[in-house]
Amino acid sequence: MTGLFHFANLVRAGIRDNALLWMLIAGFALFPIFTHFADLPFWNDVAMRIMLLGMAAMGLNLVLGYGGMVSFGHAAFIGIGAYCVGISQFFGMTNGLFHMFLSIGVCGALGLVIGYLALRTTGIYFIMITLAFAQMLFFLFVSLEQFGGDDGMSIDRADFLVIDLYEPLRLYFLIWVALALVALGLMFIVRSRFGVTLRAIKSNESRVEAMGLVPLHFKITSYVISAVICGLAGTLFASWQEYVSPDIMHWTRSGEIMIIIILGGLGTLAGPLLGAIVFLLLEEFLPLALGAVAPAYAENWMILFGPLLIMVVLFGRGGLIGLLDKAGFARIGKRKMAVK
Amino acid sequence: MPDQVLELRGLNKSFGALTATSNLSLTVMPGEIHALIGPNGAGKTTLIQQIYGALKPDSGQVFLNGRDLTGLSVPERVRAGIGRSFQISNVLMDFTVLENGMIAEAARRGQSFRFLRPAFSDSNLIKGASAILDRVGLLNRAHLPVGDLAHGDRRMLELALALAASPSLLLLDEPMAGAGPDEGQRMTEIIEALRGTVAILLIEHDMDAVFRLADRLTVLVEGSVIAAGTIAEISQNQAVKSAYLGDED
Ligand SMILES: Nc1ncnc2c1ncn2[C@@H]1O[C@H](COP(=O)(O)OP(=O)(O)OP(=O)(O)O)[C@@H](O)[C@H]1O
Ligand SMILES: [Mg+2]
Repeated sequence: MTGLFHFANLVRAGIRDNALLWMLIAGFALFPIFTHFADLPFWNDVAMRIMLLGMAAMGLNLVLGYGGMVSFGHAAFIGIGAYCVGISQFFGMTNGLFHMFLSIGVCGALGLVIGYLALRTTGIYFIMITLAFAQMLFFLFVSLEQFGGDDGMSIDRADFLVIDLYEPLRLYFLIWVALALVALGLMFIVRSRFGVTLRAIKSNESRVEAMGLVPLHFKITSYVISAVICGLAGTLFASWQEYVSPDIMHWTRSGEIMIIIILGGLGTLAGPLLGAIVFLLLEEFLPLALGAVAPAYAENWMILFGPLLIMVVLFGRGGLIGLLDKAGFARIGKRKMAVK
Repeated sequence: MPDQVLELRGLNKSFGALTATSNLSLTVMPGEIHALIGPNGAGKTTLIQQIYGALKPDSGQVFLNGRDLTGLSVPERVRAGIGRSFQISNVLMDFTVLENGMIAEAARRGQSFRFLRPAFSDSNLIKGASAILDRVGLLNRAHLPVGDLAHGDRRMLELALALAASPSLLLLDEPMAGAGPDEGQRMTEIIEALRGTVAILLIEHDMDAVFRLADRLTVLVEGSVIAAGTIAEISQNQAVKSAYLGDED
């Protein structure tokens, strides 16, 4: 009872961004209990997909939301992460930790190169260049016949020390731990001197230069961090899907994680995860709901989906977190003051 | 320590057919307030941009404390000792006044590339930022978002940020522009109080402020220096009267 009372107080006082983030992450930890008793094991699968896309969106959000760089190519890093698993297995390396370190190295290096080249431009040019790099990688993997080309390659769930990912919920909690670590890392980064300077660059680059700092260094660093996070999500995605094809890095997925961020709330910690939850649940339920009301149109659920997203973005101005903020449930906009 | 803080030698800059800076030489001495005046489009901002490193001169050199700045980027020049305010006020709008100061303080300490400890609750940064804000009398508005600040206070904040890194040269591009009479007065007093602590190159159209502040004056017309000297010397100068004041007696 006191717990509930506490929660009500928290809501009345306004839930802070990071409190909301950790509430959502705690929710994912408890979710399997629900699916167990409700006998809905399929929903664990949906939850894993939400966590994975949420993790990738959180990674992109560092660049997009906090740094103001509209990168339209982050699916490439998810794809590279996934192919790190597929290609390693092709050569007999089944160790999951190895896949992760490989992915961190490759995505970090690739992020550095792409970031270094693309961040020389801004605005629409930056969007186009990041998209172009992603498309190049997409077609590279389409052309790599020995790794399945267009058809992709099937993957065994990776070996994780003593953990057998084929046992129930093992993969679920591996993904959960990765998500929690990414959330923890990002929470520190965005509040750190680096994080606030990155936000300052988004706000006014020339003032940051006038402080004697080189904005490009901060942007590239954030780009590399976000590439690595998306790569990590990709390696786990491969185990979850037990399959990888160039589709995983199709440009529409870059768009998807961008929409997830904007839907949830740009430049907030909880936004991308909240966005992933709502986005993927709508994707599951809208066809069903439409099917019940107007069966003939069930497969055209996108017609509802699009306008719904646009409405949240237009009226939310800050996505779902913005809506919560307005309704008085969250206090992201009214930030805590340093001293009184 | 060399005699002059800033020395410009034969700077030239054109935009196509337009000559914005023409064979311009100028010195600013330690602790002096050197005013740069001239009609609109005379090339004052363009000159500041070349000192600051945002524009590359076609030819000529910029020396700061005897060091040739040619080839240095803006952040490098800032670290070499140049602080600047812009003609259009340039502060971090999405932050509070104190947070502006804290980000500048972190940069001054060379700590901006740290990833772990939360920045805005760091007592050292708060202390440093408070000292910065105190210099321009903004401490009592420290917790206001910059967006809620009056225009004159934004100019004050910008001055504070420019001073944060203890520069040896301060470039002020029309610091009173757009400020009301009271705010202009306050800004004049604050700049007056800086005299002797930092060399200042001041662009200003408000002649009352210029007369009150300037130790020396350079008059720029169409990119050329037409007169330079103390206020007493300049006010006697015939070329200035005819070209700048349009006064043909
Ligand atoms: N980037 C540029 N490209 C082309 N012309 C420019 C550029 N910057 C400035 N100019 C021109 O150079 C001349 C000098 O401009 P500048 O901004 O230095 O004048 P100013 O003395 O600062 O004027 P004001 O008092 O109006 O601020 C003007 O004619 C201006 O139009
Ligand atoms: Mg100007």
